[in-house]
Amino acid sequence: MPPVFPMLTVLTMFYYMCLRRRARTATRGEMMNSHRTIEANSRTSPLNAEVVQYAKEVVDFSSHYGSENSMSYTMWNLAGVPNVFPSSGDFTQTAVFRTYGTWWDQCPSAPVPFKRTPPNFQSQDYVELAFEQQVYPTAVHVLETYHPGAVIRILACSANPYSPSPPAEVRWEILWSEKPTKVNASQARQFKPCIKQINFPTNLIRLEVNSSLLDYYTELDAVVLHGTKDKPVLSLKTSLIDMNDLEDDYEEKNGCGMDNLNKKFSSIALREGTSNGYFDKLPYELIQLILNHLTLPDLCRLAQTCKLLNQHCCDPLQYIHLNLQPYWAKLNDTSLEFLQPRCTLVQWLNLSWTGNRGFISVSGFSRFLKVCGSELVRLELSCSHFLNETCLEIISEMCLNLQDLNLSSCDKLPPQAFNHIAKLCGLKRLVLYRTKVEQTALLSVLNFCSELQHLSLGSCVMIEDYDVIASMIGAKCKKLRTLDLWRCKNITENGIAELASGCPLLEELDLGWCPTLQSSTGCFAKLARQLPNLQKLFLTANRSVCDTDIEELACNCTRLRQLDILGTRMVSPASLRKLLESCKDLSLLDVSFCSQIDNRAVLELNVSFPKVFIKKSFTQ
Amino acid sequence: MFSVLSYGRLVARAVLGGLSQTDPRAGGGGGGDYGLVTAGCGFGKDFRKGLLKKGACYGDDACFVARHRSADVLGVADGVGGWRDYGVDPSQFSGTLMRTCERLVKEGRFVPSNPIGILTTSYCELLQNKVPLLGSSTACIVVLDRTSHRLHTANLGDSGFLVVRGGEVVHRSDEQQHYFNTPFQLSIAPPEAEGVVLSDSPDAADSTSFDVQLGDIILTATDGLFDNMPDYMILQELKKLKNSNYESIQQTARSIAEQAHELAYDPNYMSPFAQFACDNGLNVRGGKPDDITVLLSIVAEYTD
Repeated sequence: MPPVFPMLTVLTMFYYMCLRRRARTATRGEMMNSHRTIEANSRTSPLNAEVVQYAKEVVDFSSHYGSENSMSYTMWNLAGVPNVFPSSGDFTQTAVFRTYGTWWDQCPSAPVPFKRTPPNFQSQDYVELAFEQQVYPTAVHVLETYHPGAVIRILACSANPYSPSPPAEVRWEILWSEKPTKVNASQARQFKPCIKQINFPTNLIRLEVNSSLLDYYTELDAVVLHGTKDKPVLSLKTSLIDMNDLEDDYEEKNGCGMDNLNKKFSSIALREGTSNGYFDKLPYELIQLILNHLTLPDLCRLAQTCKLLNQHCCDPLQYIHLNLQPYWAKLNDTSLEFLQPRCTLVQWLNLSWTGNRGFISVSGFSRFLKVCGSELVRLELSCSHFLNETCLEIISEMCLNLQDLNLSSCDKLPPQAFNHIAKLCGLKRLVLYRTKVEQTALLSVLNFCSELQHLSLGSCVMIEDYDVIASMIGAKCKKLRTLDLWRCKNITENGIAELASGCPLLEELDLGWCPTLQSSTGCFAKLARQLPNLQKLFLTANRSVCDTDIEELACNCTRLRQLDILGTRMVSPASLRKLLESCKDLSLLDVSFCSQIDNRAVLELNVSFPKVFIKKSFTQ
Repeated sequence: MFSVLSYGRLVARAVLGGLSQTDPRAGGGGGGDYGLVTAGCGFGKDFRKGLLKKGACYGDDACFVARHRSADVLGVADGVGGWRDYGVDPSQFSGTLMRTCERLVKEGRFVPSNPIGILTTSYCELLQNKVPLLGSSTACIVVLDRTSHRLHTANLGDSGFLVVRGGEVVHRSDEQQHYFNTPFQLSIAPPEAEGVVLSDSPDAADSTSFDVQLGDIILTATDGLFDNMPDYMILQELKKLKNSNYESIQQTARSIAEQAHELAYDPNYMSPFAQFACDNGLNVRGGKPDDITVLLSIVAEYTD
């Protein structure tokens, strides 16, 4: 028998076994019964059939435009089937974030950015969605219905938000990431980025957005998750993104990574006999200056190279600004413990977005704060859901020099936790957006924190009477420069009067969606006359703003830069013209849904005042 | 032997009982979930054909029908036409109100036993719209709680509903009027007119709850129907409804609406509206031309 026959037999057997194995791992297509998911497209492939799901619920997010408990312009609209797509326009049934463009970075309340923020971390907001079934994702589609292009990162989590027991190990993996790019149209689109394959099933997807290039609020209608129930056998797509994407991509791009440099220096050392080569010849502060440019992970890696650099990299002077927000997906108690010895001089600490899903414990945070709390001047804790009352108590005890505290969207903090903030008498900036702070705690804070310059009480729904709050602010916070009262539902002209008379230094005032303010009481006119330093004024959706108010602003608030009068029927193009002529610095004017200001009027104003961005949103 | 038989019977009963309980759609004897099979028909006053906006709008009337796991909900709203004189389209308010109610129900943001809550939440949502809505309307919401077999209703204004069982009206809503031809109404007024324009709170709605049985007919309609067709005529039409499939309900709903529409333009007919006017000293005859919206439902066993 020729030798080829046994070979053929072996090969055929081998091939047959492979085929059988593939057939056995095939699954049947599943039908989704829930009214929130659509029926699966079971492909004709005998391999893994694809499961297609809409989001079952929104589990967490950093901000939104709409009101708490509402269905209009709130993040909860992102779950379920699309309501608007493929129509384009500004609809209530979509998910909208709180900000867009660079306007919030240009106003007086804009926070100073942290040093050492890696350039590839540009996420401004996030939303986390849970799906019914865990799948190995093959595609994530985002249905954007207005000003698309905000999504810059998509991540998947290994934890199942619906499992009763907490998972042993929680991993976040980036499925897709790109820097913000301008999308030219404002029309609806189905965004279909090419995602990476991962080796764990997921039903928790996180979108991170950056709206800085957008002309107006982006609006998202739904997110579709395509995936397979079983791990794909053949990996058809190549990995587009490096596994270590949460850190920098620089190493591959630069010709000489740190490893290379180290090798070079060590070989020089052997020849010249000094222990650290040229590094020994550089002054200490010069090396420190060089190291200032490294991002945190690089700093930590550099510390492992040699004793000299270890000494430099562990020098607490390198950790005066500590921005841990870009590393939220990996930062845990162990990381904090590791950094602890270096953080005795920390002045600015950013722990926003970190610690959720069990990554950071109260005790871990407390230990860290006990080390570095005394020097702390600025503490960012936006969306840090690990916080509880004890944490705030520790902050109030340890951080007596604190001037800047951000608790934005910490909506799980119990109301009594806010009582402790009153002990921080040096506070200059306090952000309580979307928290459950109550009236007594807030009054106490306002009473003791008389240095306050920036205060955000946007969407603080547990406050009963905003007139009382405004009165206290007017009485105690004389140095106040910016005040965010977005959606403060029951403030009236009395509160405004107290504010205007008590805080003459006010440069920024957000009174958006405060329906109880009536122009007929003269409150806006009074405001304009008493606050000549106003640079930003939002009167969004106050339907009573009229020509008189605009004229008063034109007369008195010539430094105005940003004005939002969305939704009033009583302002005419003529008064806007007066405003634009008088306020030379005006750069943002939002006249969406102002019935007297039609597109033609906007065009005419644009011709006369080309530097002003006049925004006019539309529904159809 | 006897004990074996009785034991066997016990076992059989337990098994069968267990089986029937695991079947969520166990029918027979009204033990299962109820649902509403609903069909609607209507006519706009000014013959504005083809102006069917999203959801169903007949002239300035609007209506919705929505299903949820826990309940079937429907509603009608009659836009107050007087706004037209001020340049406001009256159908915008009623239409948006009904569409918002529909969305609330579909997303489960309601409690079946609290139909006033649906109205209140929906009204609040209207105020959250960037678009400055203006206008007013009546509203009538009917909720069938599937498992408890109870019908919960909320009525603000002069729209309303009838429940017909065995050829007789067993429940009906009461009209809410401030004075003649001025029903209770939800409204959003322009800021300069606040205090001058009639604006009732959703809490002012009448609310009722009662049990329903399989085969009960529920007729929800705006005053365009009730002002032109007295009860006996409606009941006559309903007698022709033989079974509970969608086509027959649709046919009956259409015939009721058509009849009301014809009567509305009959100048010699003594309509209920004319009767009421005469009782109050106004000597008039004839029908009342108005938008007519009719939603006809039958309580049936719930099928997915």
